This record gives sequence, C-alpha cells and structure tokens, in this order.
Amino acid sequence: METVGTLPPQLLRMILSAVVVIAFVFMNGLLLGYLERKLAGRFQLRPGPMEVGPQGMLQMVADAVKLIGKQFIIPRQSSTTLFRLAPFLAFVPVGVSFIVIPLSSKLQVLDLDMGLIFIIAVMAFNMVATLVAGWVSNNKYALFGAVRSVAQGVAYEIPMLLSLVTVVLLTHSFSMRAMVLSQSHIWHVFMQPVAFVIYFIAGLAETHRAPFDLPEAESELTAGFHTEFSGICFSFFFLAEYTNMFFVCSIAVTLFLGGWSGPPLPWMEYSGAIWFMLKVYVLLFIMIWIRWTFPRVRFDQLLNFCWKYLTPIALLNLLITALVVKL
Amino acid sequence: MDVTERLIDDLRNLPAVVERADYRLQGYHLEVRLQSAQVRDFAKLLRERNFYLAFVSAVHVAAAIEILYQLACFTQPCRILAKAAVSDQGSVPSIADIFDGANWHERETHEMFGVVFSGHPYLEPLLLPEESADLRPLLKAEDAILPADRIRRQAAGQTEDSTLPAKSEGGTSGSDPEKIE
Amino acid sequence: MTTNNGNEKRQGFYLNMGPQHPSTHGVLRVLLEMDGEYVLEAEPVLGYGHRIQEKMGESRPWKGFMPNTSRLDYVGALICTHGYIGLIERMTGIEAPLRAEYIRVITSELNRISSHLLWLGAFLLDLGAFTPIMYTFDDREQILDILEDVTGSRLTYCYFRVGGVNRDIDATFIAKTRAFIERLRSRFRIYHDLVTTNIIFIKRVQDIVHLTPDMAMRYGITGPLLRSTGVGYDIRKSEPYSVYADFDFEVPVGTSGDCLEVYLVRLEEMEQSLRIIEQALDRLPDGPHLAKTPKKLPLPQGDASFSVEAARGEFTYYLVSDGSEVPYRLKIRSPCFSNLSILPELCRDMLLSDLVMVLGTLDLVIPEIDR
Repeated sequence: METVGTLPPQLLRMILSAVVVIAFVFMNGLLLGYLERKLAGRFQLRPGPMEVGPQGMLQMVADAVKLIGKQFIIPRQSSTTLFRLAPFLAFVPVGVSFIVIPLSSKLQVLDLDMGLIFIIAVMAFNMVATLVAGWVSNNKYALFGAVRSVAQGVAYEIPMLLSLVTVVLLTHSFSMRAMVLSQSHIWHVFMQPVAFVIYFIAGLAETHRAPFDLPEAESELTAGFHTEFSGICFSFFFLAEYTNMFFVCSIAVTLFLGGWSGPPLPWMEYSGAIWFMLKVYVLLFIMIWIRWTFPRVRFDQLLNFCWKYLTPIALLNLLITALVVKL
Repeated sequence: MDVTERLIDDLRNLPAVVERADYRLQGYHLEVRLQSAQVRDFAKLLRERNFYLAFVSAVHVAAAIEILYQLACFTQPCRILAKAAVSDQGSVPSIADIFDGANWHERETHEMFGVVFSGHPYLEPLLLPEESADLRPLLKAEDAILPADRIRRQAAGQTEDSTLPAKSEGGTSGSDPEKIE
Repeated sequence: MTTNNGNEKRQGFYLNMGPQHPSTHGVLRVLLEMDGEYVLEAEPVLGYGHRIQEKMGESRPWKGFMPNTSRLDYVGALICTHGYIGLIERMTGIEAPLRAEYIRVITSELNRISSHLLWLGAFLLDLGAFTPIMYTFDDREQILDILEDVTGSRLTYCYFRVGGVNRDIDATFIAKTRAFIERLRSRFRIYHDLVTTNIIFIKRVQDIVHLTPDMAMRYGITGPLLRSTGVGYDIRKSEPYSVYADFDFEVPVGTSGDCLEVYLVRLEEMEQSLRIIEQALDRLPDGPHLAKTPKKLPLPQGDASFSVEAARGEFTYYLVSDGSEVPYRLKIRSPCFSNLSILPELCRDMLLSDLVMVLGTLDLVIPEIDR
C-alpha cells in the first residue's frame, strides 16, 4: 500500500482507468456477443444459446476459451510481422477512445477539449487496421474486404462528421462533457433529428454492421478481411467490432440523447452511468435488430446511397443549422 | 397436330428418317435417324421451330457409337429423340453454336465416350479430372458391346410394324407421309 | 482464360470461387476473371461431386439403382425417384394402383415445397439476410417430419416402388398434411412482409439480369427459371405423368425473367403445390398401395424416356435395355446442368455480389449437376 500511496494521483488514476477500460472492453464484448446471439435467436423463433450456464450465459466465455486455445495460423506468403500486428491495430485504438467517454458527470477518464475529434480520429484508425489485415493476408477475398472497408469508411466518414458538426455548432465545444451539459434542457435528438438519423446510418456503415457489412460479407467474400485470421487474432477483430459498435452508440448518446441525464437516482454523479448504459444498449439493440432483419446492400448501392443522399442531406442540414445558429 | 405433321415433312426433306413413337410406351413422340452430316441441318431446323435441347448423349453399340439428341418444345407436347451414328474413330459435327446448351453436353459425351465433336470451341473434360481425361468410362467393355439391333425395340405386332421398313431404307427422302399413320 | 465461347481475352485477375465457398452451395467451383469488383468472365468448373451415376446404373439390375436416384437431386429426392420409377413402369408396362399414384403426387408435391423452402432460405442467405432461412427451415422441418413418418427417411427417400409405394399413408399423415397446408398458407404472409416488400431485397434482385425465352431455348433452361420469362412450360401440364392431369392447378409465370420474378414464381408454385395436395387428399381413393409385381422383372428390349417436372426443371431418364434386368445405357438429364450452363453468358460484366445473387437464383444442387 505504501507504493501506491507514493504514486502521484494522476498516474494512479491512469493505471486504474486502463485496467477498468480493458476489463470493460472485454466484458462488453462478451455481453454484446451474448446479447446478439440471444436476440438473433429470438428474431428467428429459436431460443439461442441454452446449454452453457443458465440460459446459455456462459456460452461466450466457453467460446472465448476455445478461441484462445486454437492454433494461430499464419499463411505462408503473408507478411508475418504485419499479420501479427493487424489484430492489435484494430483492437487498441477502440480501447483508447474510451478515455473521453463521459459515463456520468464524475465518471470520465479525461475530458479533452478536443474530445470529439479525438474519438473520431481514433475510431477511423480501425480502417487502417482493416486495410493492413486484408492486404497482408495475401488472399484475394481478404483484399476485397479491405478495399471495400476503406472505400466504405472514407465515404461514410463524411456524412458522419457533417452530422456531428451540427451538434458542435449548437454546443460551441468539442468537449464530450460540455456536449452532455448543453443538453440539460432539451436533447439534441429533438433539435437535430436528421443529423441523428444520418449519424446512426453512417455509424452502421462505419462499424461494418448489416446491411452495410460488405467488408465481411460472408456469402460473397467468405469472411472478408479476416478470412485468414484464426484463434485469438480473429477474436480481437471480433472484440474490436463490438467495441466499435459500443463507441458509435456512446457518441450518439452523448451528443444526441443527453448522455447520463435521466430521472435522478441516488449518487447521481456516479449512477448516471446507468442511464448512459441503458441508452447505449437500446441503440445497440436497434443495431442488432436491423442486422437480423435486412439483406445486405450491394457495393455500388452502398456508395450511391452515401454520396447521392446522405452527404447532400447532411450538408444541407449543416447549412441550415449554421444559418439558424448565426441568426 | 398440324405443326407436328409439318415438322415431320421438313425433317424428311433433310433427308432424315422419321418415325412416330408411341409416347405411352417410349416417352417421346418422334424418333429421327440421322447421318452425321445432317446433324447440323437437323439442329438448325429445330432451333427455328423453337425446340430446346434436353440432352446430348451416346450409346456404345457394336460398329458405331450412337449419338442421342433429345429435344422438346415449350409450346406443344412434342419430344424428339434423334440418333446419329458415328464410327468408332469418327466424329460428328458440333451443334454448340446452334444450341448453346449443347456445349456442355458435348463435352460430357466426349469425355465419357471419346466422341469428337468437330467444330466444338472447347472440347475439354467437364466432369472428369484432367488426369483421367482419356478414361472414357461409359464405353462398354470389349465383350459387353452389343450389336445395335440387340437394343432395338421389338415389334409388338401393332403400330411398330408399319414403321419397321422405314429403318432399312436409310437416308431416302421421306415423301410418303401415309407411312407414319 | 479458356473461355468456352472463344471471346477475346481481356485484362483481369483471376478469382477462384469454390469449391469451398459459402454461396456455391456445395462443391461447385466458378473461375472468375475480375476487373476490380466486376466479373469479366465466369467459368463454372464441374465434377467435384462426380460419382459416375450413369455407369452405376448400367452395372447393376435396375432395382439396385433405385436408392441412387434419390442421391442425385437430394433436395427433391422423391420427384427424382418418381422419374426413374415412372420409366421402369413405362418399360415393363406395370401400372400402379390409383391410390399409389395419388400418394406419389402428394409426397412429390410436399417434396417440391420443401425444396423451394430450402431455396428461399438459402437464396436470402446469399443476399445477406440471415433470419428467413430459420423461418423456412422451420416450415421445411414440418414436411420432413411428415415424410419421415411415411417414408422412413428425411432427405434421401427411397419410397416409391415399381407398382406403387412402399408404405400406405394413414389418417395421421393426412391430418398432419392438412395442418401443414393451413400453417404454410399463413406463413406466406410473413415471407411477403419480411422479404417481398423489403426495399433492399427488391433493389438487389430486380432488373439485374433478364432471362428471355430465346436464351432458355438455346440453353435448355427449364423449371421456374424458364417460367419467370413468361413461358408456361411445365411437364406436369405438357406431358402429364402419374395422375397430374386430374388436378386443377395453374402454372405461374412471370414476365421479365429477372430474379425477382423467379422468386415470385417459386413462391406461387408452392401455393399451387398446396392446391394439388389438397385436391389429392380430398379425392384420395381407397385400394391397395402396391401392385403385385414379379420378383424378377427384366426390362424389355428397346429404349424409353421419362420426364418429370422436378423442383428445378425437367428431369429426364433415358434408358436403353438389351432385354435383361441390367440397363444397357442409362442417361440422366438433370435440370441444373443446363440451367447452370447459362452462367457464363448471364454473368458477363456484372458485380461479384450480383453473381452470388444469380447463382442463388439458379437454385443449384451440385450432386445433380455432377451426377
């Protein structure tokens, strides 16, 4: 305890946060994976996983153990270093972006002035990881997936940012905390419904969720960019995808749905996190719902939709907002 | 059955031997015997008459492999079985440019029987692996080959009787339509 | 690339799709020449499931080949067996009792529905929709249960016999089948709500390729693919076998021959099959289900052909006999073989995603193609 006592509080806070963040990322992956499979089961009129643990709750743990125990196969003609690196490139940034998310008024690792920009920048890094993974696999299907991922990511980044900038115009700040505080009267989703919808659609594309799951469209590309990855490295991509989903929804909640605000609970400074999580998981539920309902769009349709509809509408929305704010 | 009558006349003008078959017993309406040189004219005629190609195959009988063409029509119930004989080393003209579907059927017949379809754009094995391209699995063993008349339908004493003489006439022009009645 | 129609070669890279690929439905391999996402040439490579069934048919008494027939088109095995049994009956002149013919029609149509249901689920899976396959499998499961009760197997049925069927159907079978008809009719609404009106689905399948009657004639395309072009050709109508002539049913046709029409035709066909089953159950005659046949039954010398309308199109058996029990030559014409041969022409210059969609539309059963 003495060593702990001598550490500067800032460092202690960082170490603690890192542990919590990593634990949370894994727990979220497990929970979301379970939720996805259970909900998919419900949508498909079947019970979903039932065997491992009560109501199949330990299924994901069993799967995780299995994946860790699997051999990690590296294709002979791939670039070994990059091939090993790719899953971490996908996984690490999403963990990092956690530090600016305000779970409640007191539960936030660090409130950066540039919080929103930071989180967007870090999340976009996922695209690089996908490209690396697809490229070094030395597999044409993986390359297809990677190229699709980049084209899709670049395209959808634009309406996504445009819709987020409208909120920035309303709050005059990039700080995630300020975003939440500025919604004490009315949630931004009611002032900017168009921006919210555009953001959510772009978010689906950004996280490669159906109906925009083209980089890993298994009926066309077997498994897309992670075709060649096995065992624990596959599970890192899997975790990264779920964590990414979580962040896309967190941003939506922070910017549009009032963050941690909600009916008061005891110790609201901390327990606001409950409201925050609830809202995030409602959005995640919608994402899962969409995935198990719709067929996949075609690649040209995906890009057309972005460039011909989402981007112009988002631009128009931004212009109108700017005018209204200025007047 | 006016359309069928006309078709029979045209087929006889090719000239080919046409017999009416008993659909109840044989499952096709017309049986056509062709010389291998007439195969393309035959196919062109039926293509014009809006027939489709059900399959191309072969039967290995003594002295010659018989190529089978079965065609049917979308608009009228008329199924035609055509038989063209080729000699063991001989070839038969390809009809892959008339009926595109024949392409694969001819490739299959080629790899199974070794029949050469001259003019075929790509006569490579279709179902068999490349290394057993010369296997010709459906050719009969030396002692199992039967002469062609051992597999012909036996005259049952009724309708077939009248058609039997037509067989022996070979490629004469069929100017006697009453024979098919 | 060795194209089989001698087109001039264009610059592209090769992509090997299959034989292990989720959307080739078995062991089909398609060699693709690609330019980015666009398919320049598609060349199906067959034979990975080749078992030389025709030789097997020629090297044993005809009875011994009966189980093989259900291993050709294993998704619609009963219809496939129907053709072979029909052929033997045609050659030997044995007639099945009327009751047996009715049972054959009922079970064949149930099998056709189960085949279409499987196609529906798999097709939507190719389009990236996961959920419908669970619904269709749920329905298909009912059929498999019903057929299992009477035939003893769930997929590769060997139920038809020369002169009738192996086992008679009972009241439970009839009650279960009637209940299934009710159930499936109510399920069509779900499919229409979930799939037919889905904008993404429509955008994915409409106007991608157009089959024409002329293309169908050139390639010998039959079945729902042909009917989607507006040609109402159905062997059950044009060369009615068994007792199909007794029933009142329509042959659904499309107009434009695109994949949406194929989908609609197949859905409508399921409803028509239900109508046939219903009529057959209503009019099911009493009597024996199996005629007495001699133990040894040589096939008379000569040849015969028998065509049935399988779930995917015209299935024809052509048999040449030398008078013994062992067929001298057995030719099996499977619909998918011809239906697939159009792929190179159909899929020129289209997106990879569309190629997957078109492959799904063709409803391929690979063992039937490779035989």
